[in-house]
Amino acid sequence: MPAGRRGPAAQSARRPPPLLPLLLLCVLGAPQAGSGADTAVISPQDPTLLIGSSLLATCSVHGDPPGATAEGLYWTLNGRRLPPELSRVLNASTLALALANLNGSRQQSGDNLVCHARDGSILAGSCLYVGLPPEKPVNISCWSKNMKDLTCRWTPGAHGETFLHTNYSLKYKLRWYGQDNTCEEYHTVGPHSCHIPKDLALFTPYEIWVEATNRLGSARSDVLTLDILDVVTTDPPPDVHVSRVGGLEDQLSVRWVSPPALKDFLFQAKYQIRYRVEDSVDWKVVDDVSNQTSCRLAGLKPGTVYFVQVRCNPFGIYGSKKAGIWSEWSHPTAASTPRSERSGPGGGACEPRGGEPSSGPVRRELKQFLGWLKKHAYCSNLSFRLYDQWRAWMQKSHKTRNQDEGILPSGRRGTARGPAR
Amino acid sequence: SSAAPISPAETISQAYSLALYMQKNTSMLLQTYLQYQGSPFSDPGFSAPELQLSSLPPATAFFKTWRALDDGERLSLAQGAFLALTQHLQLVKDDQSDLNPGSPILLAQLGTARLRAQGLLGNMAAIMTALGLPMPPEEDTLGLVAFGASAFERKCRGYVVTREYGHWTDRAVRDLALLKAKYPA
Repeated sequence: MPAGRRGPAAQSARRPPPLLPLLLLCVLGAPQAGSGADTAVISPQDPTLLIGSSLLATCSVHGDPPGATAEGLYWTLNGRRLPPELSRVLNASTLALALANLNGSRQQSGDNLVCHARDGSILAGSCLYVGLPPEKPVNISCWSKNMKDLTCRWTPGAHGETFLHTNYSLKYKLRWYGQDNTCEEYHTVGPHSCHIPKDLALFTPYEIWVEATNRLGSARSDVLTLDILDVVTTDPPPDVHVSRVGGLEDQLSVRWVSPPALKDFLFQAKYQIRYRVEDSVDWKVVDDVSNQTSCRLAGLKPGTVYFVQVRCNPFGIYGSKKAGIWSEWSHPTAASTPRSERSGPGGGACEPRGGEPSSGPVRRELKQFLGWLKKHAYCSNLSFRLYDQWRAWMQKSHKTRNQDEGILPSGRRGTARGPAR
Repeated sequence: SSAAPISPAETISQAYSLALYMQKNTSMLLQTYLQYQGSPFSDPGFSAPELQLSSLPPATAFFKTWRALDDGERLSLAQGAFLALTQHLQLVKDDQSDLNPGSPILLAQLGTARLRAQGLLGNMAAIMTALGLPMPPEEDTLGLVAFGASAFERKCRGYVVTREYGHWTDRAVRDLALLKAKYPA
């Protein structure tokens, strides 16, 4: 190298000398003219040890000029000076150290054991790696998005830290054929996860496991066997719309679209709807919504804003006997019920569209209709009692219902008229 | 050369702006680096001037000597230093991916520092061209030094590199300020 490149003190040795001394000269106080710095070597370099084990280390000084002594040298570990009774002068140029019952390393880059000159300057160092071998990873769970990929998560072996950097590798292979493959995209859904983006076969089982390795050893999880079709999940239903049902103050209608990615296969999709009042954290869940893409929520509070979400489970896809995995909830959609004086108890099931003679919401709806009729039509004497009479009559004469449409007990046809109270 | 002549003032001004910008982040790089190596490196106020790398030119120089340098020498020394720094920063980044694998912030900062050093090298080459000065040859500054270093040696090496990166950036600001005064816009 051209001498002009350097400052005043040029390093002379340029032939390739033995590697270790060259490194030390390069790193640790390369002698600059007039400074007469000492160099030293610590042994062992970068040892790996089990927690609780002991270590014997030495710091050997080479002086420039020669004749440097081990007098005045001292040790620090992670910046803290070690008690002198742990050190011993072995010979004129070597200081020894005896450490016992080592604790786990403070940082993954290793504990810094340093040999200092009398004036505190760093002469040499060694990184200690103290820890435990990894434990068997557990709780592997996997899911496939739309049968295209596979994401797996696992938990590192239980009992806390190994204190050493532990590398996890997710492996998989077809159960009855082929080589081991290694997953390559890590940390996709948390620190212990991996994503296999493609080239996965359906209708045939895979074996999946996780290998954990660190400086002290390795461990392998139990093998999980699965068929991609048994762990399918999908996107949340798109286009969730929530709207009022006419003027009904206690109902909202929810509509959605079947997730498009699986639309050709979702013969038995299940859905779940959850809804809550705007300023509450309690969700009500409507379960077991099978194969529909709409639902009517009833028993809601009038004049209230509701948030609604829907999710999908691709149940029994391609004839799989297992339930799939629920998708994420759709983005919350909000809607408000119309204002009114009445309120009712909570729902829990979708209201049927047709209006069978069930209790609660339909009766309420009917009451509202009758009330409206009284105001706007010439049916001043309509009442709920009349309706109940009609229902009772309907049940008794169900055999003749088809013949006698619209005929009331009093024998009149058409809409109700006349005194009914 | 066939390209239209660039004014020295412009290239010097650009380089100066870049050096100033780099200067704002050099101490953060050093601090971040030290944090990840553990004590004593991460101790507040850590300083070990006795640690040096012979493959990196020293940034400090006697004032009179430095002041008396001619433009070519001044830039040539700075270029040599930043060339060495880009190579050493790559080495340190490789070392740290091994020593501190879960440290994206540190690795990103090392990568950014290296990119900026390369940028400054480019700007200085432009100044050389604008002043009609010969370009110094590019050299492999690392040679045999790199391989086989122990973990502690690598930690020390990264400290020296990030420290000297700061020192050379400070010097580059002063070098370029001198040039800026000499070739005003």
